[in-house]
Amino acid sequence: MSFVRIQNVSKSFNDNRVLNQVSLDIEEGEFVTLLGPSGCGKSTLLRAIAGLNAIDEGSISVGGKDITNLPPKKRNVGMVFQSYALFPNMNVYDNIAFGLKMDGLKKHEIRPKVEQMLSIIDLKGKEASYPSQLSGGQQQRVALARSLIKNPTVLLLDEPLSALDAKIRRSLRNEIRLIQKRLNMTTIFVTHDQEEALTISDRIFVMNHGRIEQAGTPNEIYIVPASEYVARFIGNYNVWSREQLKGLPVHGLPEQGDMFAVRPEAIRMDTAAGDNENGVVADGKVSYVSILGNVLRFEVDVAGLPVTVDMLSGQSIEHLSTGTPVKLFIPRDEWKSIQKSS
Amino acid sequence: MNGVSGKKSAASRIGHLFVVIVILTFLLLPLLVTFLFSISTVWDHTILPKGYSFDSYAALFSDDRFLLALGRSFLVASVTVVLSLIVMVPTIFIVSLYVPKLERWLQSVVLMPFAVPGVVAAVGLIKLYSSPPFAISGTIWILIGVYFIIILPFVYQSTRNSLRSVNAAELMEAAEVLGADKPAAFAQVILPNIMPGIIAASLLSFSIVFGEFVLANMLVGGSYEVVQVYLYHMLGTDGHRSSATIVTFFLLVLILYVLVLKFGQRKPRTAVTSDAKEGNPFELRPDSKRVEKF
Repeated sequence: MSFVRIQNVSKSFNDNRVLNQVSLDIEEGEFVTLLGPSGCGKSTLLRAIAGLNAIDEGSISVGGKDITNLPPKKRNVGMVFQSYALFPNMNVYDNIAFGLKMDGLKKHEIRPKVEQMLSIIDLKGKEASYPSQLSGGQQQRVALARSLIKNPTVLLLDEPLSALDAKIRRSLRNEIRLIQKRLNMTTIFVTHDQEEALTISDRIFVMNHGRIEQAGTPNEIYIVPASEYVARFIGNYNVWSREQLKGLPVHGLPEQGDMFAVRPEAIRMDTAAGDNENGVVADGKVSYVSILGNVLRFEVDVAGLPVTVDMLSGQSIEHLSTGTPVKLFIPRDEWKSIQKSS
Repeated sequence: MNGVSGKKSAASRIGHLFVVIVILTFLLLPLLVTFLFSISTVWDHTILPKGYSFDSYAALFSDDRFLLALGRSFLVASVTVVLSLIVMVPTIFIVSLYVPKLERWLQSVVLMPFAVPGVVAAVGLIKLYSSPPFAISGTIWILIGVYFIIILPFVYQSTRNSLRSVNAAELMEAAEVLGADKPAAFAQVILPNIMPGIIAASLLSFSIVFGEFVLANMLVGGSYEVVQVYLYHMLGTDGHRSSATIVTFFLLVLILYVLVLKFGQRKPRTAVTSDAKEGNPFELRPDSKRVEKF
């Protein structure tokens, strides 16, 4: 049986159904991400697991124990909030020790545990600082330590990195993953940032309108999106319907499927003609070129249909400037047939 | 150019200073004169008093009636403020976090005292509380009751603002997830963080109650003489003594206001200070550096 089991969970706020029969299973020690835009229900689901939102239907169990109706303090879950929620009246030491104090541990039992946590989050020497004297990254590390010290059965992270700037976000992301692996902590991470989700997770659950739209490893989600919604949300997929491609100078379309997704980096582009034996060939004109660091992104106009093509910079592509007529070649197996989203 | 703007700003500084001095003189001159009169021996046809003495202060502080009145004022104000905090702080906390629908009503109720003039309230209260079953007119209880209502807006506003500024809802949730029940989370996390607001509200309320005259005089008057009423009675008998009372009274209220300002300006510890960014707080441990290379 799975370590965390969520079965048919539904939740409404004033007739607005935020969670709709959500079911998912998470294994012990796994790092999973709930990914989706704001309002998709991911934070509500996380809060339901923490006991901060009561659910209308369904059940939640952790480690074989049904926690559906338990108050937050009896669930033994750890939670890190987007805005850290550190206690401003307590210093770093007292913030981290708070949970143990609530459990009735004695001072001499608390001290070694807090010191161990301080060394894990690399904040030794900051015990006496107040949250207001710490940077955002440090505050979030304290919040993490405060949750981990109680050795929770599951760690819940509610967009913990979104208030930080890009560089710190990346380093703290790596740090969270390392700590999680070291402690073998079952972790549920909520984010709207697809790059973050793809980088950090063992598995991703893409959510849409209170439902799980697709579940899979980062690779599965990225390479084989199940629906138009997932394809549009993850990366910069080209998403076309068969209808849109009708009458265009595109040859060799797959015979099956009504909706297709093609990764921009899977498209080959040149001025010379390609072969259409094993793929689709299209004629177009470069309409815009942008530089994304190591990648050049081309917008190609195929008789009115915009096509995004990514190429590594450094290749001999100087001749592909705006207005150049080009031939596109898309290998047959790169056409992912996807489900149309309403 | 600099010289011209320098001259302009010097001229405007002098202008500002002049306005400030005029206002301060207008406000403080009567007090200064009152103080001079309270320490004068004879002051009738001279610009300044003929002699100075602190006799009236000595007499005032050896007058049992004054000390008793002062004690009563302190008692009424303290009991009222403590009672108000005990009742109102948890109420405001519960309403604003857990029953926000009621907040509009609570706000209307606490603002009511502003709509009722003191004299109107006094007449109504005397009528209601002079006969059984609530014959408390003329006692300390009616004063405490009416002052409780009068300080509601101040306690409400201050507590509500403090709760907002510390993001009480999320702090409660964080404390609960960490194993605290609601009363413990309130006592250990919320209360210490809204304390500056509560202290400011208490001092403000205390000084309002301490200085209130209309209700004190009309509802209890001489039967439970507080210092404001004592002062009023003293005005007709001894000029020097009443001046000494006014100055003492003013100093007490002034001390309270200074405390209000001091505590009111204390900010909760929430903002990230710029000096926190010194050093390299984001430095990764060696093993995480290794990961970053991949």
